[in-house]
Order: sequence, then structure tokens, then C-alpha cells
Amino acid sequence: MNTVPAAKAPPRRDVALDAYVVGLAYDAAGNLAVATGAGKIAFMPADPLSSEAPREIVAHRGASLSFARDADGKAFLSGGDDGRLARVTLDGSVTELLNTKGKWIEAIAVSERRNLVAATAGRSVHLLAGDARHELGPHPSTVMDICFSPDGSRLAASHYGGASIHLTARPGEKPRTLAWKGSHLAVRYSPNSKFLATATQENAIHVWRLASGADMQMQGYLTKVKSLAWSFDGNWLVSSGTELAVCWGFAGKGPEGQPPMELETSSVAATVTQVAAHPAAPFIAMGFSHGAIEIADLAKKRVMPLAEPTDSPVSAIAWSSDGWRVATGTEAGQLRLFDLKPQA
Amino acid sequence: MTSGAPNLIPVTVLTGYLGAGKTTLLNRILTEDHGKKYAVIINEFGEVGIDNELIVNADEEIFEMNNGCICCTVRGDLIRIIGGLMKRSDKLDGLIIETTGLADPAPVAQTFFTDDDVRAKTKLDAIVTVVDAKFFQDRLKDSQEAEEQVAFADVILLNKTDLVSADELKLVEAKIREINKYAKIFHTQNSQIPLDQILDRGAFDLQRILEVEPHFLHDHHHHEHDGDITSISVTLDGPVNPERFRMWISAVLREKGQDILRSKGVLAVDGDDRRLVFQGVHMLMDSNFGQPWREGDKRASKLVFIGRNLDGVALKRGFDACAQKR
Repeated sequence: MNTVPAAKAPPRRDVALDAYVVGLAYDAAGNLAVATGAGKIAFMPADPLSSEAPREIVAHRGASLSFARDADGKAFLSGGDDGRLARVTLDGSVTELLNTKGKWIEAIAVSERRNLVAATAGRSVHLLAGDARHELGPHPSTVMDICFSPDGSRLAASHYGGASIHLTARPGEKPRTLAWKGSHLAVRYSPNSKFLATATQENAIHVWRLASGADMQMQGYLTKVKSLAWSFDGNWLVSSGTELAVCWGFAGKGPEGQPPMELETSSVAATVTQVAAHPAAPFIAMGFSHGAIEIADLAKKRVMPLAEPTDSPVSAIAWSSDGWRVATGTEAGQLRLFDLKPQA
Repeated sequence: MTSGAPNLIPVTVLTGYLGAGKTTLLNRILTEDHGKKYAVIINEFGEVGIDNELIVNADEEIFEMNNGCICCTVRGDLIRIIGGLMKRSDKLDGLIIETTGLADPAPVAQTFFTDDDVRAKTKLDAIVTVVDAKFFQDRLKDSQEAEEQVAFADVILLNKTDLVSADELKLVEAKIREINKYAKIFHTQNSQIPLDQILDRGAFDLQRILEVEPHFLHDHHHHEHDGDITSISVTLDGPVNPERFRMWISAVLREKGQDILRSKGVLAVDGDDRRLVFQGVHMLMDSNFGQPWREGDKRASKLVFIGRNLDGVALKRGFDACAQKR
């Protein structure tokens, strides 16, 4: 073991929102918005370190359950337990894109490449292509998560018993099904589109090679896995569910028969609850069950602490498009905004 | 063994055969001026005619856990819905889950033992079963579910008592007692009952288990058939050795958990003034320290098993061996 000089802590701003942080997203210009369990969207000031209070608008009657940046990069999408998918813009306007009449909207995915939006509602997935609306499904159970392939040609939905892959250009067609017993809570395409990974209720992750349909099961997590992230280059798959940064290697021949790279964190008696990949460098931001934030550097194979515990689990993390800013939020509503740009 | 966690939201599971009076009870919970905030998860055929954003309509999605436990099924939709409700800003006083008339209560109860997120926020308070006094005997003949719903119950509303004679009522109650000796039974008409009798009763009101000695069945002669559900209890005059008990009960539930629908108990342990409260559903179990013993309480330990093919002699012998040696 060798010692490294303690890095100077990056500038950060803390904000208390007093509601569960459901999602965080930066728009293309770097503006940060936050969706909460109170059904509100909070817009943070353009200068991340300004002490100006956030502006809040009400988007849902109950809670917001899902949040993303819209496909045009200029607005945000929020899905709620009132069954509404709303587009909210920085000026505070709210437009209803979808109303599923009380069915909760629990996951949203966007394809900027093809200007597509998808939202779950019970066993269906609604695909929004311009003014067209397609209802995909019903799936074998409630859809837990969705994601587009990197080129937007496919939409994967995870559910009990596996995942379904729809062709976005032919939404009426029967999807390709990938079967694996159990409840699949999250789904993510690898950046090279060769793999589809799911996180499962049964303390494991499952990965399919899409060309051959061959699959692999990665087990040994302490708890169910809820969050997955591929590194920007697709070389690593990182997930929540243990006290370590567990990184499965997908460079070269892939992870079959290989143990994962496990990086020690400084968190004791806490598990990782959220992971988010940096857009252009081999970094993964990790949030813990006790509120701490750490960053795994996959190239240097080490984990650096970024923020101390708060006693509330980290529930959301987002990177800005340029990768210089990262924002985190907890179930208790504590926001932390970091400016990672080297200071002059 | 976990210690008691504060601020967990109490969950009441409401079962009962079709037409027994569940919907009437739910409507009362939703409309009465009780000053409490309850979220209600109704089944997809639920007919609650009230618009309230805390009423959630659910498909009963029963998931087999891919974890090697053969009887471990959970309600996937409940895990999801409870996760969603916990994001809301309003503080809930309780959560009520209605099941369809044909539902097996086990997957619902097992969800509260299995999922870490659910366990961190909620606790199973009681399984309440509404029984139709007039048609219960008929239901027992044509459905296994009616019997199992009574077996799982902590509280039974013997409803529509106005539709039967006093003698018929006695017969129905005796039939219920053959299946489940330990549930608290209320006689009701039109599901009328003070809500504090059925909601947030605290750890299944397990203290009652120590007090119930069901002698009234002795004069009612009954021949058991293989496969009938019955209930038995085993007692120790003093405290248990917690480690020995844990090993024994784990083995019992692992081997007989398919037949044992419910297990529950109140245990005394040396060095702690609180009751150790234990409960299980099939192979899954949980225990917490509950209320302290009161002055003058006899610190005894008692377990109750409700299920099929129960071997009372073997259970008694096993439990005796868990006694704390002095």
C-alpha cells in the first residue's frame, strides 16, 4: 500500500430540500433540476456554488417517481404516481405528454439520437416518437425499468422473468425475449450495444451477449441490486449492492470465469445504493446507504472519498454532460452539488 | 436477531373470501373521521368507490424468489408499491393491503420478511381475516383458500352474525377454532368494529398468545384428518437460550416450513427485560424485542404453530431442549 497526497476537497454546495430526492438531471447547457417525492421540480441556479435558493414548481399531485432530461436536452421529463408524464422547462412551464389514468410512471428513458421518449405504466411501455404514441406490451409483469440501445434502434424493458427488446422503428412487432427467472429491477445496454445487463431482486446481476443470446449470472451481492452503470468506454460494469466497488471487466474476452475487480471503499458497514458513470472518463460516482459519496477511478484502481456520511441513503446521482459537475441527493432530501473543475 | 426499530409503518393485511365484507370494512377505513393517514393497496378487482390518491390499485404479482428457498414467493408488486409510497412526503400512520378473495396470504406476509427495503420501512402488524358467518362452512368444503385465510389470521372478524342463529354461530366459531385457536375473534355485523381493534395493534398482539389456553375445545369432539390445518402451542416455564432456540427453530422451519403456515411466540431471555417476540410464515422468520415484561408477569416462553401434520410431541421435546440452563 502506498500513500497518496490528500486531494483538496472540491468546492461544493449543500441544499436541504425536505423531500425524497427521486431524480437529478442536467440539461445540455448545464442547468440542474431535481425531482422530489413531494411532486415538485426544483431548478438550481446556473452557478452551482451560488447561495441563491432553488426555484420550485409543482409537477404532480403526489410524488414524482422518475426523472430524466428530455431528448432535446432543453427540458426535463418527470413521471408521477398521478399517472402523468410531464415535460417541464426552465421557465417553469409544465406540459402533460401522457396521462395513464393513475398507473404509476416509474421509469423514463430517452434517446437523443432518435429523439424518442419512453415511459413505463404498469405492464406497458409508452413510446413517444414526435407526435406518435405507441403502447408496447403488455409484458409478463409490471415493467421495472427501461433503456434505449445507444443508437436508439431498440428499447429494452426489464420485468419478472427477464427482459424484452422492442424495435423502436416497428413498435407493433413482438419483442425479442431474454429469459431468466427472477425479478429484474434495472436494465442497461452496454455502450457498444453488445451486452444487456439487468440488476435483480435476488442479490445478483445478469448479463446477456446479444449476438449469441448466451448469458451470465454474477452473484454474491449483500442485497438486491438496484443501480447499474457501464463505464463510458464499456470496459466495466459497476453496480450497487455491496460495500465495495464491484467492477466486472468487459474489455477483451469478457468476464466469464474471471473474478470482478473489487476496489476497497472507505465506507464501513454501509452498502452502495447508487452508481453513475462519468460521460467521458473512467470514473464512477458511488452513493452509499449512510449518505457518503465516493468516486471510483477505474484506471488507477482506487476509490476516492468525495463527501462524508449524512445518515440518509443516497437515492440519485447525476453528472453534467461535460463531466465537470456531479450532483447527489438522499432520501431525506439533502442535495450536494460538486464542482470538479480544477481551480485556478 | 434484530432489535426493535422505531418508526416502522404498521401494515395490516386484509383477507377474506369473496363477499365476506372486506370492501365494506375498507370503505369504513377510508371514510371514517379517525384523523389518521392510511395508504390502501387494493386488488385489481377492488370495488372501493372512493377517489383518494392514497388508494393504489395493484395486480397481485406473485414472484418466486430465485434464491433456493422452494416455498419462498413474494408479492413483487408490493415491493414496488411500498418503495413508491415511501418516496412521498406525507407521513403514513399505516398501510392496509387488501387481497383478492382467492389469495393465499403467504406471499404477502413473506414479502415483509424478505425484502430489505420493505423491512427497513414497514412492519407486518396483523393479518385480519373477514369470515362470512353464513357461508363459511360451505367455503371450507369448496376452497382450500378459505381455510388458509383463517389459519393465517391474527384477528378474525366473524361477520354477518345477524344472518345466522346463535347455534349456527357457535358451530362456525368452533370450526374456526379447530383451525386457529389463537386468533382474536370479533363478532360483527356489516363489518362494524372500532378500527383501533384491528389496526396498529403492535406485533400481532402477541401477549395474548401467552394468555390463551384453549380449553373450550376439549368437550367438542373432533377427529382430525391428515392434511387438516390445526394449531398447537408449546410452553416453557422460564427463559430460552436464544442461540439454541435460533438453531432449533431454523431447523424446524427449514424441514417442516411447507406444512407450518404460521409460527409465532413470545420468549423470555436472561439479561433482557423485554419480551423477545418471534414470528414466522412458512420457512421465513423474524424476531424483535417487544414490550418489557410487567411487574408480576411470569416470564414464560411460548410458541404457537398453525399448520398441517404438526408433530406436537417432537415440537415440545425440541422446545424443551432450548430452555436456559440455570
